[in-house]
Amino acid sequence: MTTRDRDEVFLELTRSICPVCKQTIDAEVNARDDQVFLRKRCPEHGEFEARVYGDADMYVAAQRFNKPGTRPLQTQTEVKDGCPSDCGLCPEHKQHACLGIIEVNTGCNLDCPICFADSGSLREKGPDGYSITLEQCATMLDVFVAAEGEPEVVMFSGGEPTIHKDILAMVDLAQERPINAVNLNTNGLRLASDKTFVTELGRRNRPGRPVNVYLQFDGLEKETHLAIRGRDMREIKQRALDNCAEVGLTVTLVAAIEKDINEHEIGAVIRHGLAHPAARSVVFQPVTHSGRHVEFDPLTRLTNSDVLHAIGKQVPEWLTVDDFFPVPCCAPTCRSVTYLLTQGSPGDPDFGLVPIPRLLQVEDYLDYVANRVVPDYEIREALEKLWSASAFIGTDTSDDRLTKIVDALDCADACGVNLPVALATITENTFMIVVQDFLDPYTLNVRQLMKCCVEEITPDGRLVPFCAYNSVGYREQVRAQMSGVEVADVVPNAIQLQPLLVETRYGSKQVPR
Amino acid sequence: MTTHELANGLDATQVKACCATGYSSDLVSLLLGSSYHPGGTTLTRRLLDAIGLQTGERLVDVACGVGTTSLLAAQDYGALVDGVDLSEANVKLATGAAVATDLADRATFHHGDAEALPLSDGGWDAIICECALCTFPDKPIAAREMARVLRPGGRLGISDITAHRDRLPAELTGIAAWVACIADARPAEEYRDIITAAGLRVTTIEHHTPALERMITQIAARLDLLKMIARPRLEALGVDFDRTGPVLETARRAARGGMLDYVLITAEKPCD
Repeated sequence: MTTRDRDEVFLELTRSICPVCKQTIDAEVNARDDQVFLRKRCPEHGEFEARVYGDADMYVAAQRFNKPGTRPLQTQTEVKDGCPSDCGLCPEHKQHACLGIIEVNTGCNLDCPICFADSGSLREKGPDGYSITLEQCATMLDVFVAAEGEPEVVMFSGGEPTIHKDILAMVDLAQERPINAVNLNTNGLRLASDKTFVTELGRRNRPGRPVNVYLQFDGLEKETHLAIRGRDMREIKQRALDNCAEVGLTVTLVAAIEKDINEHEIGAVIRHGLAHPAARSVVFQPVTHSGRHVEFDPLTRLTNSDVLHAIGKQVPEWLTVDDFFPVPCCAPTCRSVTYLLTQGSPGDPDFGLVPIPRLLQVEDYLDYVANRVVPDYEIREALEKLWSASAFIGTDTSDDRLTKIVDALDCADACGVNLPVALATITENTFMIVVQDFLDPYTLNVRQLMKCCVEEITPDGRLVPFCAYNSVGYREQVRAQMSGVEVADVVPNAIQLQPLLVETRYGSKQVPR
Repeated sequence: MTTHELANGLDATQVKACCATGYSSDLVSLLLGSSYHPGGTTLTRRLLDAIGLQTGERLVDVACGVGTTSLLAAQDYGALVDGVDLSEANVKLATGAAVATDLADRATFHHGDAEALPLSDGGWDAIICECALCTFPDKPIAAREMARVLRPGGRLGISDITAHRDRLPAELTGIAAWVACIADARPAEEYRDIITAAGLRVTTIEHHTPALERMITQIAARLDLLKMIARPRLEALGVDFDRTGPVLETARRAARGGMLDYVLITAEKPCD
């Protein structure tokens, strides 16, 4: 008998949950075939494995981009059972909240085949849906302010927040508090059809108190819309974008990317964003297999590195994988970002585009493992604010930071060109591209979750890390609390789980007791 | 194209003139920043590791710029550093940074010329010189100065651009002249001979081509940026934006072909 080597490199031991019963279990992360997988075993439901990063080399290299966390001013819970059971935030959480999300309702004017929140028209009318009141919203904002002092960004989400009758008043509540920016997460239906509403939003978007629209935008092909949204929304998206441009609202195009549905449209979404005057950033999110989604295979699911490589392949004239750097405030493999300085519109003869990371050595500032001494601490601080989950283009903070970055170019007044001054005139043409993979019940890794900086603010006054909220059962818990109706735990629609699954009335899956 | 008109649109006599007037260093500053060196702090650490820098050792940082590497060596390696730079402004900035980072007792900065170091004979354990030897007009004298300051057994670490100017493709003559203008780069063997002639023994020569390719990417990006925001000014200075792209692409190929490179060289001063 000869011994045989394993076919994988054991990278880490962590904790996760069973995707079926949500019990906390040990998990290991392994590199195999140049990819990274998380594997775990539930005593009751057996072994599960999911692909968590498509490029093992990039996964390991990213770990250096890990900023020491900041303690929030307040935590809301005690440590009792350990992560992820004590959310939150508990005192053991490693990072403060860069971004707070308030879900104002569970109802929606769409019934998308893919919805991590498992929202829809049935929730609007059904027994276990809810809408928060203005008073609850005020309390939730106060919790956020108490925890953060001066929070950077609050995002209103749902459900579909624009169908909440008090949504504008909620924006007002946020703007009355020391919260820098408001983001409105929407499918765009109301923005396309209700110009009065758009005007009212635009009126609230003012210097020092920006309002940005976070517009669901998965692609430009009809098939993509039908597969992800169940409806051809192309004209609606265009009208929504045009209406925002008319009143000066900046828009982030947010694309949920699902394997074999719209991964080929990544470059087209970037191109569309660069061409539309309202669009200032694009966010790509590999579909989070929480809530409701199409059947998928966890072993071949899309990850951040797949999106990054697709960008390099689909718009090679503008971008390569090396133009992106991990965001160091959260766990470094959760989110990668780049910024572009642009001039004109793609197709113009003198269109110009320069990725900011090509202008300076970003890793000299954001590699926290190697660099205790950095060339210039103000530049590091500016880069930290840009490479952050709280970064939204169009905020005063991001404009200031971009101007500061120019100092890193370290060449004021050379050749009679004052680069900082000249660049200040084009910061309004800065474009941000974000790639963000959220954790789901298959991929949940407590090491990443403990440093999450995107939190759901709950009506009972907690800040629950977004991925815990969607994966561990907090969403169901809050829904039950708010509606008074028992809510079953939602289970991923994975190929391997099909024999166990039954459909809920909302289209998501559960395992019958 | 006449022999005097170079591929990047600059006239050869203009190039020479610009070196003399300092225009070249201005353009370099625009394209690379005034304290740039390829490879960033990652390659700096590689250099400090290659010379085996130890806690408490005395280090000279020749052409230290604003002191980034000196402070890194003081803090992360525990070295006692003397930085020397030709620019008084840099010396001031470096001194300020040392105070700000609480390293003033371990890092001192001096105004001085690499060809006449303001330091006594044989008092230092190690010397580094990053991306600067290529810019010194008299390289043999600079090398002899470094040898003079090292104690017997002391180590020298150099990182620098190398160029086989006579082997470069014709269309790169322009950029070669340009590189020659900003950096009088030589082949690695020539650096080795200069260091050897100064009485030191060369121990390693490492090639770091990706650092050079990254530098070319940065130059390309900054040229694109300048084209966006200051095109008329740069064109008035003789930059032909229609030709910079192809020239930089040729430079990338030259880097891959070994005609342009970035090298790390270590040497030591014999004990006898």
